[in-house]
Amino acid sequence: MWRPWSKPDQDLEREISFHLETLADGYQRQGMSREEAMREARREFGGVEPVKEACRDERWWRPLAELARDIRFGWRMMRRAPAITGAALISLALGIGATTAILSLADVLLWRSLGVPEPEQLYEVLWEVKEYPKLNRSSSGGTSREGALLVSDFFSSQGLDALRAATAGKGDVAAHVVGGEKASATYDGRIAVTNIRPVTGNFFEMLRVQPALGRLLNDGDDSASATPVVVLSHRFWVSQLGGASDVIGRPLRINNHVYEIAGVLPARFLGIVPGDNTEIYAPIRQSPVFLAQDSWIRERADDPLCWWLHPIVRRAPGVTQEQLRDIMDAAFATSWVMKPSNAETTPHIRLSDASRGLGSIRRGLGNPLLILLGMVLLVLIAACANIANLMLARAVSREKEIALRISLGCGQGRLLKQLFTESLMLASIGGALSIPAATAILALMSRLIPVRGGEMMLAVTPDPRSLASTAIVTLLAAVLFGLYPAWRAVRIDAGPALKEVTGSSAAHRRSRWAAAKILVLLQVSLGVVLVTAAVLFTGNLWEIVHRDTGFERGNILLFDVRPGEIGYQDDRLQQFYTSLEQRLTEVPGVRDVGLANTRPMLGGGYWSGVQGPGRIRKVQSAIHHMSARFMATMGVPVVAGRMLTRQEIESGAKVAVISQDVAKQLQLPSPLGSRISMGQQGGEGTFEVVGVARAARYSDMERTPPVVYIPFNYEQPSATVVIQAAVPPLGLLPAVQGAVKELSRELPLLDVYTMEQQISRTLQRERLFAWLCGSFGVLALVLCIVGLYGLMSHTTARRTQEIGIRMAMGATRGGIIRLCLRSGLGLALGGLILGVPPAVYAMRLAEQQRMIPEGPFPYGSLAAAIGLIALSALLAVVIPALRAANTQPAQALRRG
Amino acid sequence: MSIKKPDLLQGTLDLLVLKTLAQGPHHGYGIAQKILLSSRQIIDVQQGSLYPALHRLERKGLVKSEWRESDAGRMARVYSLTRTGHKHLASEIEQWSRYAAAINWVLEG
Repeated sequence: MWRPWSKPDQDLEREISFHLETLADGYQRQGMSREEAMREARREFGGVEPVKEACRDERWWRPLAELARDIRFGWRMMRRAPAITGAALISLALGIGATTAILSLADVLLWRSLGVPEPEQLYEVLWEVKEYPKLNRSSSGGTSREGALLVSDFFSSQGLDALRAATAGKGDVAAHVVGGEKASATYDGRIAVTNIRPVTGNFFEMLRVQPALGRLLNDGDDSASATPVVVLSHRFWVSQLGGASDVIGRPLRINNHVYEIAGVLPARFLGIVPGDNTEIYAPIRQSPVFLAQDSWIRERADDPLCWWLHPIVRRAPGVTQEQLRDIMDAAFATSWVMKPSNAETTPHIRLSDASRGLGSIRRGLGNPLLILLGMVLLVLIAACANIANLMLARAVSREKEIALRISLGCGQGRLLKQLFTESLMLASIGGALSIPAATAILALMSRLIPVRGGEMMLAVTPDPRSLASTAIVTLLAAVLFGLYPAWRAVRIDAGPALKEVTGSSAAHRRSRWAAAKILVLLQVSLGVVLVTAAVLFTGNLWEIVHRDTGFERGNILLFDVRPGEIGYQDDRLQQFYTSLEQRLTEVPGVRDVGLANTRPMLGGGYWSGVQGPGRIRKVQSAIHHMSARFMATMGVPVVAGRMLTRQEIESGAKVAVISQDVAKQLQLPSPLGSRISMGQQGGEGTFEVVGVARAARYSDMERTPPVVYIPFNYEQPSATVVIQAAVPPLGLLPAVQGAVKELSRELPLLDVYTMEQQISRTLQRERLFAWLCGSFGVLALVLCIVGLYGLMSHTTARRTQEIGIRMAMGATRGGIIRLCLRSGLGLALGGLILGVPPAVYAMRLAEQQRMIPEGPFPYGSLAAAIGLIALSALLAVVIPALRAANTQPAQALRRG
Repeated sequence: MSIKKPDLLQGTLDLLVLKTLAQGPHHGYGIAQKILLSSRQIIDVQQGSLYPALHRLERKGLVKSEWRESDAGRMARVYSLTRTGHKHLASEIEQWSRYAAAINWVLEG
């Protein structure tokens, strides 16, 4: 091995021996023997070794060489205890990785500004009201409850126009529509499923985004008569169009409509929602959702009772938020076609800061994410405590070595540097390992976070900012777990330490154990908090997943088809649906096939007020269009009356099966044969009830809503196919695909899931928490065990001699075990007690944030967590105790 | 740095070495002899302490070294002043003279 300092060492040697010999020559000439002359020369020269050392100190690479030596030494020490090092590294990598992942996620979702100029001027326009007003008949958007207020984000086109007109000169109002729908975009023969956001023509002008290529939209584009154009996100342009500069003006087909590519957005514009996955922006009146055959938006776009637009405003410089709000509030009221009945139902404009993106995700995930961040920091602290403990224990076992080095003249600074280098090494290896850990955790999280229209777009590769945060966390960790033990280790009184024999005790060592005990205490109490959370969230998920759905969930396969998008219409469409159902039934392994216009367990659905005869009350119900075999396929039984017949369904007869809840809530004395009406002003018509179905979950696992089952709508361009299989459903997929292909060669199967997968997709937030908290809990538990075990095996090892004496004096094995258990379990008990109040506080917080359902305080979870930790503590303590009890007194005494 | 005569001030060894080398290249032994001679046997540098000083000066780029055969036929490491060394020496001498003069004023005043 080449070392930069070996050649200079030889040179130094030669240089000094030349000097000595020349000196000796002189003495020899004075008549001394060669031997005497050399001795005299050495005396005159002074100590050779100190001179050499002083010369080495003068080399420029000296600090580097020292560092290299420290690193090699540290490496040797780490290899000597591979299990401890491995445990330390894994806990560090996971701790830092999880911290980095959650930090980056929080950064993207909560803290990062939109990639537009002066984002602080942007506000999301909302309206708040105490009681929901009767100002609209249909709406598309979100309403959330904030304290006593209902906050909604949708406006009619009259409302938008009023806001735009009133704010002229004071602000700039644009709007978008939450399309939600994915569409297939075809460019140059290649198809991609994309997310499209319909926006007003002035949308990018308001945001002040400049195109990377071509032009962005203008007001002229947003009209029914304009040439259809789209603007592409930078990401879509690069990934799907290869970043070619000649795409401007070329055609892009979306569903069945041809658009001209007007421009490409700059790379730094990542959308208006944190983690936005929008790839294509289209003018509202030319957007696919507007042009679709059955577009309800197009029909009601100019209806003042249909509220469907989501405005964003940029205030002009010099105008305050309050001034703007007041102007908009006054304008908003002029756009209503009906009068609110009283002050409670009069909505008022609220402007919500949009500098970091629109808030729906932030509102939903912001606080939970901060709680997760807090938890992951606790894990990191526990991991650091663990490592600090290991370092402390190692410092104790290296006491003699350190004392020896100090008495040989090693400076405290030098020693401190050596010890700190070791922890820095641990931290940097852990930090390096944490990058893949963070990437994996981020990938998992972005799959679990609910976003309308599919997966969230997150920078899953560690970007410079998250890397920097990792580096900071790593350094912090090194300081946390390295500095104190190192400082303790070098403040040693070399004399007594060298004289001491194993097993004796000294005051400073007692204080060192006190530090170790405090660290273990901390770990156990953090463990209580983290394991409680783990038990709570995994238990919550388990409970929800295993709720009775009211339908068959085992062998169900779901997928969507969109024949309307490839040209099927009218009679051909109905024929297609009929033969699809028929053809799929013939596939071997398929038990039953049903069609529906709405996918079950999608989290949404088509809802409408349903009224009974006399129209006394109205029940908000899901209206479910389905084919003849749908209920049989899903396993939802009819408890009274009969199913809809195939003939009724194919002819679109006005008959319905209602769920038990509808019957109950409408208070129908004899539901069968009664007539119910539904839809806006009875728009859907009046249906005769022919059967009552058992209550079942419909759109999510939360509740069992009222459902009205009516005949399948054969005019809809898309449908969900539900298959009940006799075999594991995914195994059927190739055969099913083959069968569909026989009917239509270009029809893709979309969103193929088993029912179990479909259910778990509605539980993304619960899954996110269960997964993360579950793994944090496991990590914390392992850290507890390692910490306790390490401490106990060290203390008992150091008390070997004492135990030997006790046994020689007649102590029984049981007595020794009790002795060892007492100290270890006392420590664990202390930690448990200390951990309960913060755990209770954390549970209250989770309940407040509605991360767990409200209800009686979950003492069970707390008890389970405490039991789990107590059990593992017992395990961690018993093994060293048993080992101590097996001490052979004679051997133990001789070893001292 | 340990020095036999306690009155050799910290930092002055470097100055003496540089001055000696200004008169021509020398090996370490030669430098020690030369200092002893020029100081009229008053400054007897602890011979070993020369080497850290030489290495320090070399690191600073004030002197350079090469291996040459000595009169006795042994290989010796011979040091000589670099250009920066010469410049540095001049400023050091000036500083030293001002310092010595100042000390003198104090002692005489």
